[in-house]
Amino acid sequence: MTDTVLSVTNLSKFFGALKASDNVNIDLHAGEIHALIGPNGAGKSTLIKQIAGGMRPDKGEVILNGQDISALDTAARARLGLARSFQVSSVAAEFTVLQNVVLAVQGHQNLGMWRAALRKTAFSDQALGFIARAGLAGREAIRASDLSHGERRRLELAMALALRPKVFLLDEPMAGVGLEGSADMTALLDDLRHEAPILLVEHDMDAVFSLADRISVLVYGRIIATGAVDDIRNDLEVQRAYLGDDA
Amino acid sequence: MQRETWINLAILLGLILVPLWAVVMDEPFTITLTTKVVILALAGVGLNIALGYGGLVSFGHAAFFGVGGYAMGVLASHAQSYTPMQIGALEVEGTKSMLIIWAVAIVFSGITALFIGALSLRTSGVYFIMITLAFGQMLYYFAISWPAYGGEDGLSIYVRNGFPGLNTLDPIQFYCICFVLLCAALLVSARLSSSSFGLALHGARQNAERLEAVGVRPFKLRLTAFVISGMITGLAGALFADLNRFVSPTMFSWHTSGEIMIFVILGGVGRLFGPVVGAALFILLEHWLGGISDFWQFYLGLILLAVVLFARGGVIGTLAGREVAHD
Ligand SMILES: Nc1ncnc2c1ncn2[C@@H]1O[C@H](COP(=O)(O)OP(=O)(O)O)[C@@H](O)[C@H]1O
Ligand SMILES: [Mg+2]
Repeated sequence: MTDTVLSVTNLSKFFGALKASDNVNIDLHAGEIHALIGPNGAGKSTLIKQIAGGMRPDKGEVILNGQDISALDTAARARLGLARSFQVSSVAAEFTVLQNVVLAVQGHQNLGMWRAALRKTAFSDQALGFIARAGLAGREAIRASDLSHGERRRLELAMALALRPKVFLLDEPMAGVGLEGSADMTALLDDLRHEAPILLVEHDMDAVFSLADRISVLVYGRIIATGAVDDIRNDLEVQRAYLGDDA
Repeated sequence: MQRETWINLAILLGLILVPLWAVVMDEPFTITLTTKVVILALAGVGLNIALGYGGLVSFGHAAFFGVGGYAMGVLASHAQSYTPMQIGALEVEGTKSMLIIWAVAIVFSGITALFIGALSLRTSGVYFIMITLAFGQMLYYFAISWPAYGGEDGLSIYVRNGFPGLNTLDPIQFYCICFVLLCAALLVSARLSSSSFGLALHGARQNAERLEAVGVRPFKLRLTAFVISGMITGLAGALFADLNRFVSPTMFSWHTSGEIMIFVILGGVGRLFGPVVGAALFILLEHWLGGISDFWQFYLGLILLAVVLFARGGVIGTLAGREVAHD
């Protein structure tokens, strides 16, 4: 038996008649990258939001390391180590890279009112480490709003790292980073998996096939297949439902 | 040093030199005017923590200004009439001691802010503006219908309250007290802004979703900021009442809330010295434009409109450029 770190059971979310999540079951094993693929509007982001806590499911559970976290809010889930990146990069735009990452490093603890946050060497040193690991060394003093698209993606990953994550939930981290950027990003994600398992929503099939241990395919809110990369690649139903669209 | 730091030092120097000049030239009115600037700046420094750092557009800060004012008025009026207050079965003496009055003003405006904040911070945007406005007006009408303390007419205090070792009736000495308190509040504001708490507060203003994703709930942060903000504005209210030796419901009115907001916007929202510049400019304009035309508020409105439209970041923002990350 592999260790299951995160599991989602019988999760459903309807928007009126639209089934955004239709009895979804998906899990994440220690050390793996589990890719979630599916056409636009399949409900991938909606699923990530429900796991991260930003959206309440109509029914179903989210279990992290054996603990039912379904009733917890986003902040409480983050404290337990659910680290997410957003499909549209979401950082504090007026802050520098360093300020953003220190914000994540300090988290909810030690919100002292007197000493300057960035002067706390413990915070800054850790933050610089995460920044370097995310490939942003030398960009610490740049405002987030002045970063390139790809750099902002990296900043989100640095912030996710700073949470000492148990699980990464990454919603299309390669969207818009360009061809060259996606090779770098693939390498970075391959590094992150040593930190915590990754539930990866991604459209870039080359990246998915090279990174993922398992793949789940989501169509109209339903998981139609879960399996090892090669099985999914060869799965005819998947090709019809999804890959066929692109090819 | 950054340009903004130089500008801030220049402003501080101005607040030292102007009254000094006034003493030498024997111009007590100028000292009084500068004292008013400093006290209103203090009220603005308070609001700036909520509005500038937290992004909480409070249109009800007159509530705290007024609570501070009435803390002074009530305590001093009992002291001057030698009648103790009756609080239930308890008899409490009034006082003419500034130190005690400040403490009471700070505590009561803090409690008021805790109450108003706990209710209004559950909303955001226009609703937050309207609810804070409504609370301010509630206190305004309460003060009007409170005959024990002057009702609509307000309360006169005959002698300025005392401070150990100083003659508070001497304008320059009272000015010094107010100036030192303003400096203290600016120090608190600066430390708060760059602290871990401040980083999270600024973060919540920019992106609350992101803050939750790193495990921080914005509500508690904002409420804390709102209370600190209210306490500083409350202290300013007590000083303002002492300056005029008079309190009235006007201190609670939405005009007052609006004026405090104007100081912050005029000077630069979220800039440490924004409220100081804003208050100074406001008082100068009121003084000059008021001498030129009875419709000075109309011209003030035009100037404010120009600042909001063309000088985003207010005076400080225009002079110092966009904010540099503090270390
Ligand atoms: N808050 C919402 N209200 C109504 N419909 C929504 C909401 N969020 C998402 N949807 C719909 O749910 C479906 C799934 O959306 P989403 O999860 O963003 O898809 P994906 O990320 O797979 O492209 C889409 O049809 C979208 O329009
Ligand atoms: Mg999506």
